[in-house]
Amino acid sequence: MVTVPGARPITAPGWTGQPRLDLGLVDCDVHQGIKQPEDLYPYLPRVYREQMIEQGGMRIPGSGYFNVPQNAGRTDLAAANCDATKHSTHKMGNSYEQLRDEHLDLWHVDYALLTGAGVYGASVLPDPDFAAALCRAFNDWTMEHWIARDERLIMAMAVSTSDPRLAVREIERIGADPRVRAIMLPTGNRMPYGNRFYHPIWEACERHGLVIGIHPGNEGAGLAGPPTGVGYPTYYIETRMARPQMAMAHAVSLIAEGVFEKFPRLKVLIDECDQFWAVGLMWHMDADWKSLRDQTPWVKRLPSEYFREHIRVGSQPMLEAANNEQFLCMLDAMHADETLVYSSDWPHWDWDDPATTFPKLPEHLHRRVFADNAREMFGL
Amino acid sequence: MPLDPSSDIRRVVAGRVEEIPPGERKLIVPFRGRAGIGVFNVNGDYHALRNLCPHKLGPLCTGRVSGRPEAVAPPSSYAGEPEIERDGEIVRCPWHLWEFDITTGQCLVDPKMRVKTYPVAIEEGEVVVYADPADLPPQPPSGAAVPATMARGRSAE
Repeated sequence: MVTVPGARPITAPGWTGQPRLDLGLVDCDVHQGIKQPEDLYPYLPRVYREQMIEQGGMRIPGSGYFNVPQNAGRTDLAAANCDATKHSTHKMGNSYEQLRDEHLDLWHVDYALLTGAGVYGASVLPDPDFAAALCRAFNDWTMEHWIARDERLIMAMAVSTSDPRLAVREIERIGADPRVRAIMLPTGNRMPYGNRFYHPIWEACERHGLVIGIHPGNEGAGLAGPPTGVGYPTYYIETRMARPQMAMAHAVSLIAEGVFEKFPRLKVLIDECDQFWAVGLMWHMDADWKSLRDQTPWVKRLPSEYFREHIRVGSQPMLEAANNEQFLCMLDAMHADETLVYSSDWPHWDWDDPATTFPKLPEHLHRRVFADNAREMFGL
Repeated sequence: MPLDPSSDIRRVVAGRVEEIPPGERKLIVPFRGRAGIGVFNVNGDYHALRNLCPHKLGPLCTGRVSGRPEAVAPPSSYAGEPEIERDGEIVRCPWHLWEFDITTGQCLVDPKMRVKTYPVAIEEGEVVVYADPADLPPQPPSGAAVPATMARGRSAE
C-alpha cells in the first residue's frame, strides 16, 4: 500500500485528534468537481459543446433548495487557494493538488473513492443522449486530471440510468480499468433502484466487479420524484432529513425485487444518507418477510442477510448519539463490522474527519469500518 | 396405542374419521385459557398441533391452510411464475401470518421456531390424540362424568 513519508502532522489550532496511522484508511466519498463547464468541453462531442456554450452550462436541474451553506464547500480549504468569501465547490470545483495536500497526505489516506460532483446526477436530465455524453466527458476528465495522477485514487464513474443501453456502453468502455471500482448514481431518480428497468446496468456492474454507488443528489429535480414520499418539504434541512427515506426506498427495492438473487456478486454503497436507519430497516423487513414472504418468494433469505452481504453504508454524516454507550449499541445493531464504511465527504462543509468522528473503537471494529469493509467491497 | 398406566398422557378422541375429511380440521378441548389442539387431515394423514403459535401465542390452528409459493428466480428473470408447493400442508397463524408445516410443526420462516405436536392414531374409526395434560382442561373431580372426548387412560383394544 502507498505510504506517504513526511506527511504533514495535523497542526490546526486547538487540534488534538490524530488518525490511527497503523490500521488503514479507505475513504469512500471524496468529491472531485469541475471549476466551470468549459473544463468538460474537450471531452464532449461538438454538438453538445456548442449547445452548452449557447446555454452557458450543463443545466443539470436542481430542486430549488437555494441555501446550501457555503455552496456546499469547506471555506477553510478554499482559503489556501482563493478568496474564501467567494468559494463555491459547485462553481469553482477543487483541484487534485488540494486533495493531495489537504486530505490524502494530511490524513494518510490509503485509498479514496472519487464520487464526483453534479454530473453523477445526470440521470434526471430529460435527454438521455446528452446525459450519457456528459457522464462520459466527466469520466474522461476525472481519469486525466485525477486518477492518472495518484495511485491512491479510485473512481466511481458517472453513469446515467436514463437509457440503460447507453449506461452499459459506458461501463463497457471504461469499467474494466482497474482504477474504476464503482459507478455513481443520485438518490433522486425516477424509480427505486431495484426496478427491473435498471437490471441491464446492474448486470454490467456485476460483470466488471463495479460497486453501485448511491449518493444524495437531484432528489426532486428534473425527472426525479420528490425528495420525500409526501412531496416537497420547505427547507434545505428537511431535504437532509429525507435522505434516509430515499436510502431505505432503494435498499428495500433492491432486496424485494430479488436483485441480489439475480446478481449474487453485486455490492451497493449508500453514501451520505446517515446510517442507523439500517437497523430499523433490517429488523422491520425481516419481520415483514416472515409474514409476507409468499408475495415475493424469490427473496429466499432474510432481508437482513442480503443487506449484510451486499449493502454498505457510508459513515458520513455519522450520527451523534447521546453517549458513547448508545452509539456503540447502534453500531452493533447495524452490524457495522460488515456494513459500515468510512466516508469523509471531503471537501464539503459537513464532512467527517477520520480522527474525531468516532469514539475510540475496538481495534477490530476500527479496522473493519476504516479499511477492511471497503477493501473487500472494492476488491482492493 | 396402549398407554403406560403411570403416564400422564391423556387419550383424547377428536371424532370419527369421517368428521375430519382431507383438507379439513377440527379444534378440540379449548378450555379457559388453554389453547386447545388442532387436528388436521392432510391428504388422509392426521396431524395434531397445539393451537398456540410459538411466535406471539396466537390461535395458530384457526389460520388459513394453504401451500407455499416458491420461485426459481425473480420475475425479471422471466423464468416463470411462482408455483404453489406443498398445497394443504401449511397453516398460517392469523396473527402475523407465519407459516408452519402441519406435518412436522416446523415453522417455515424461522428455523428456531416449532409448534408443539401430538401423536395421533386412528382407533376403531376414531381419530385419537395423545395429549400432554398441561395442554388440556383439568381432570374432572373423581366420580364426575368424564366427557366423551376426554376419557383418561383408556387403552385402545
